[in-house]
Amino acid sequence: MAGLNDDAQWIVLMGFVVSFSLFFLAMTLNQSTLVGQTTAESVLDFPKNDIRDVRSVIIQSAVIGDPNNVLHDDVTNISMSRKEAVVYYYNMTGSSDTRISYFIHYNNGVTEYNETWTSS
Amino acid sequence: MVNSDGQLYTIEGVAAGMIMLFTAYLVLGMTSVYTPGDSHISDMQLEQLGTDALRMMNTPVNSTASSTLQNIIYNNTASCVYNNGAWSCGFNSTAFNTTFLNYVNNKTGSKIDNYPNGLHYNATVTYYNISSKTTASLPLAYYGTLTGGEHPVRVTEWLIVNKKFPGTNMIENRAVLVEVLLWRD
Repeated sequence: MAGLNDDAQWIVLMGFVVSFSLFFLAMTLNQSTLVGQTTAESVLDFPKNDIRDVRSVIIQSAVIGDPNNVLHDDVTNISMSRKEAVVYYYNMTGSSDTRISYFIHYNNGVTEYNETWTSS
Repeated sequence: MVNSDGQLYTIEGVAAGMIMLFTAYLVLGMTSVYTPGDSHISDMQLEQLGTDALRMMNTPVNSTASSTLQNIIYNNTASCVYNNGAWSCGFNSTAFNTTFLNYVNNKTGSKIDNYPNGLHYNATVTYYNISSKTTASLPLAYYGTLTGGEHPVRVTEWLIVNKKFPGTNMIENRAVLVEVLLWRD
């Protein structure tokens, strides 16, 4: 190692440390845009209001009764043509049950939602 | 005899080269991301506003009463009638217009900017025609006219109303969809 000037080694080392840590920060920032994008998209795509709305009308129909399946046909057909969503539901109350149970299914191709609702 | 002068410069050079290559790799490998712009965010707000307004209109004061929206759709007329080439169902358009505009324009303290010219809407009622097995829409109310340049959002509310819609002879409970196109000028 003859002739090597070994002054200021700490300064050089610190220089390397700082520049490499900057790169790790840059990589973290790089990832954060992707994460933010996918999260925002999932929030925008999720049909929260559609599901709440169709669920509430199905429960209403369960409570007031639907002897000829008129409400059932209305809900499934209008959902298909105006909401682009497959909705089906049926009464799954057992003969000895004291509460009403309904199975509710919603699928708009992106989000699928299934629920078994029981009256209180 | 190898000349060992300038080893530190060599190391520095190698390190600098690696840093530059790594930078190039990061920059070239970075996915270009289209971030959801402002329009999406204001759309979401408008959608929530309209949904909330319709939800409020469809909330009865108690479990046995009809909601405002049910009364508007029913409006003392249990049947839709066909006259002059169009179905008329006697919806209470005036009441819908007043209530809906009042709900969407209200805010703490006062009405929103340039009320009532800020928000416009076009509301329809979609029903299922049992005999022809199709869905069709009837006009309900509107405020402002869509000319094509607007950027509306659609908000909807399901409703059960005891009324005779086209395609049946019975007055019975029907589920209909109130659809509102809502936009800001």
